[in-house]
Amino acid sequence: MANTISHQTSQWDTLHNNGPFDLKLLQKTRLEGKANMPSEIERYNDVANEIRRLLQEALNHNEGFRAYGARWSMSSIAHQKDRMHYNVFMNLDLQISSNDVHASSVYDKKNLFFFQCGNTIKEISQSLAAHGKSLKTSGASNGQTIAGCISTGVHGSALGVGSVQDYVVGLNLITGPNPEDVVYLERLSKPALNDAFAQKIKSKVIRDDNLFNAALVSLGSFGFIHGVVIEAEDQFLLKRYVKKIDKKVALELSRTMDFENSSFHIPGEIDGNGKPLKPYHYKVFINPYTDEKEYVIEAMYKKPYTNNYPDPFTTIEKSVYRDLIHLLIKISEKFPKKIPFFIKRLEKQILPDVNEETIGTLYETFWDAPYQGPAFACSFGVDSKDSEKALKILIDLTKNEGPIPGIYAMRFVKKSEATMAFTKFPVTCMIEIDGVLWNKSRKLIGLKEFSRRMIQVLQQNNIPFTIHWGKNSDWGFPDLVKDMYGDNAVEWKKQRNKLLSKEMAKVFSNDFLKTIGLSNVEDTENVEDLIASI
Amino acid sequence: MTTSTKKMFQITFLLVGILTLFASCYSVRLVSTHGAPNPCQTGVEPDCMEDLGNFYRDKRVVVIDTVVKAGVTTDDIGIRVQRSGCETGKLFSVEYKNTFGGSLLYLVTFGSKRKVKIKYICMKQ
Repeated sequence: MANTISHQTSQWDTLHNNGPFDLKLLQKTRLEGKANMPSEIERYNDVANEIRRLLQEALNHNEGFRAYGARWSMSSIAHQKDRMHYNVFMNLDLQISSNDVHASSVYDKKNLFFFQCGNTIKEISQSLAAHGKSLKTSGASNGQTIAGCISTGVHGSALGVGSVQDYVVGLNLITGPNPEDVVYLERLSKPALNDAFAQKIKSKVIRDDNLFNAALVSLGSFGFIHGVVIEAEDQFLLKRYVKKIDKKVALELSRTMDFENSSFHIPGEIDGNGKPLKPYHYKVFINPYTDEKEYVIEAMYKKPYTNNYPDPFTTIEKSVYRDLIHLLIKISEKFPKKIPFFIKRLEKQILPDVNEETIGTLYETFWDAPYQGPAFACSFGVDSKDSEKALKILIDLTKNEGPIPGIYAMRFVKKSEATMAFTKFPVTCMIEIDGVLWNKSRKLIGLKEFSRRMIQVLQQNNIPFTIHWGKNSDWGFPDLVKDMYGDNAVEWKKQRNKLLSKEMAKVFSNDFLKTIGLSNVEDTENVEDLIASI
Repeated sequence: MTTSTKKMFQITFLLVGILTLFASCYSVRLVSTHGAPNPCQTGVEPDCMEDLGNFYRDKRVVVIDTVVKAGVTTDDIGIRVQRSGCETGKLFSVEYKNTFGGSLLYLVTFGSKRKVKIKYICMKQ
């Protein structure tokens, strides 16, 4: 039987030290060993029973319960003050055979894969590679669990693909302690797996587009995500270029996405008519404290897979002394005017090498991002059409009311169907500032204050925006979610209330959800009404 | 030579000595580009070691810090990965640290005592 270890504790923190946060009980479940239970499905169902038992315990104690994975989120979205469940050891992948695919499925059966919640992007990528397949996109690295990625909207900069949640086609949720609380959810309009498969994982089937779209970016609040069905694609290579290009061209591309008619082109990356190709990935790096005429950009082009390419990994890797970074931050807190100088000196460590060219799979290109000490990241989504204007506003703020120890980047993501996806614009430009976590001082603005000012200046300039759920912000800013999502926030709550009982909605809530005003529960129609089959 | 010049020489000598000691203590880490490291939660789980450096955050590390007795005829020393902390038996990374003290110990004992300082991480199950 699956086994849970519980630790009485007092504190919990994120990977990047954005806490600490109070916590009473930390739980960690391990699967039954293969030797005792060789069937993967049996082990999967066995651990589902264990999760239901843990949910009953939480209910009995009138406490909250929240699952989390690699704790990469910098906001408090993953935190629950009562009970937290570390799920990285729940990393099975279940085989999907052609008998499991729904008769009306629009997906190629060879591209459907089922992964348990604790699988990291790295594990999934390796597992897919063994089948000659790849994820369609990932974040900038690979350590997040699949459940964490979709709950918070992890994205890369794949212009035509979207975020991680956008290739999820089925969800296995545990919404309560009873056997009937195990649900297999997918779109009615695009079913992936049949009822017979759902029976194997002892799940009740719900096919509903609105509910599925709401549960995709669930903020961890639509029950325990036990498994996800993803649509993969054939393995491919990414040719990566790092260039310094005219700032005006970089910003124009960000605004228009019109690569075909741009003066930016890379020899060899052109179509039959000699016009520049649209890249798979486009990213712009901006040091807010310099007024250079050129920006560093990263462009990647998709290529057919072949195993005859040079190893993309550099053999020797060096890193800056952690104590040196700590020292620079301490100096910055006393003498903030030195920040631009330090950033300029560290540019080589922060930015990719200009004129670098590599080729590798998605897995190899977006490989491990090593932890480099306490960090912050603020990330705003705007319509790509507003990207230049929004960037200027945020850079001006950073220069005038900062400086703060970070640099900007812009990434671009296709619109998501998820109700609460921050990638809600036709092409969302994610403007992000990442850096080293600092302490507020007499001379240096605090992170929360700076985050609040970012929201204020965008609002003052009438730029519609969203905020990355897993990044730092002033999440208590009045009417923030209403302003960002309007009716979609109402729809999300409605769908959540349909799926969860009042008691379980409370169990799956946390302070983050309360802060942003999404935790309240209203009486709605019974979930039984939602069960549909086609 | 004035007293202040002497003092400056002494400080410089001390600094050079300290820097030499630092330089004589270094580590090299071999990391696999495949497989996922065995995870744990630094700062949250009591049995997840802290202060091992940035690379080791949220990874379950096994540390070997010992002195191995060896005879004059001993050429190499092998260390076997134990099951505890390494259920998969597969290695994700191995770091060997060379210290000034370790080198000194080897010299003064004519190789009969060898300081071994290794950190390794196994693959996740």
